Amino acid sequence: MVQLSDRLDASFGALADATRRGILERLGRGDASISDLAAHFDMTLTGMKKHVQVLEAAGLVTTEKVGRIRTCRLGPRRLDAESVWIERYREMLEGRLDRLGAFLERSRDQR
Amino acid sequence: MTTTTPQSTDRFTSSTPSEREYRTERVFDAPRDRVWRAYTEPALIAQWWGRGNKLAIEAYELRRGGHWRFVEHHENGVDGFEGRFREITPEERLSMTFEWDGMPGHPIVETVELHDLGDGRTRVVTTSLFFLREERDGMMQAGMEGGMIQSYAALDRVLAAMG
Repeated sequence: MVQLSDRLDASFGALADATRRGILERLGRGDASISDLAAHFDMTLTGMKKHVQVLEAAGLVTTEKVGRIRTCRLGPRRLDAESVWIERYREMLEGRLDRLGAFLERSRDQR
Repeated sequence: MTTTTPQSTDRFTSSTPSEREYRTERVFDAPRDRVWRAYTEPALIAQWWGRGNKLAIEAYELRRGGHWRFVEHHENGVDGFEGRFREITPEERLSMTFEWDGMPGHPIVETVELHDLGDGRTRVVTTSLFFLREERDGMMQAGMEGGMIQSYAALDRVLAAMG
C-alpha cells in the first residue's frame, strides 16, 4: 500500500514549481498536447516533457500517445485545494524557520 | 513515487514520519531561553514570523486554551492565521492549533520542541499534524458518524420541544 506520506512527498515536489501548478490549471480547462503546453508556457518540448513526467509520477497527470501526439489530461489524483494548502503551509513553515534563524542572528547582541 | 527519505542539509532536516505528520529539525546558534522568547513574546514574534511583512498580533493569550491570532499585511491584501494553545511547557514545548482564514476547517496541530544542546545552541523540532480528508474518513468509520446521529437526534428533540 502506498502510504499517504509518500503521496504527499510526491505532490509536494510536483507542486513546488510554479510552471507545474500552471500546467495543472491549464489541464483543468481541457486536455492538451505536450506541444500545446510548451507553446502556452513558452518552453522547449524537452523542458515541458520533464515537467509533465514529474506530474505524471505524482499521479496528477496522465498522458496518452496517439500517433506522434502525446495528450495530457488531469490524472486520477485531482489537485484539490487541500493539497495546495498543505504545500503552501510547508513553504511557509520552512520560510518561518529561516527567518527565525536570521532574527536570532541579528538580535544576538541586544538582549 | 518518491520516497520518504528525509531531506537534509547541514542544519536542517525534514521528513514525514507518519501518514499525517510533517517534521522538521533545525539547530539554531542561540541558547534555549532566547529561542523560547522569540517564539512566545509578541514583540519578538512580530519581528520574524510575518514573511517580512507587517504582522498585527491581534491576540496572544499564552495559556492552555488561550487564543492567538496573527494578521499579515502584504501587497496583495491580508492573511489571517489563528488557533488555540494546547500545551505550554516553558522553554521545552509549545503546541497549538493553526488555521488559515482561507482554509477554514483544516486546522493543523503545530508542536515546537526546544532541546538545549549544552553549547549555547538549541535544536528546534517542529511537528505539523495535518487534518486530512483521509483522516476524516477514518474518523467517520470509527464511529463519529454515530456521534453525529446522536447529536442530530438531540437537536430533533430540542426542535420538537420548541414546537
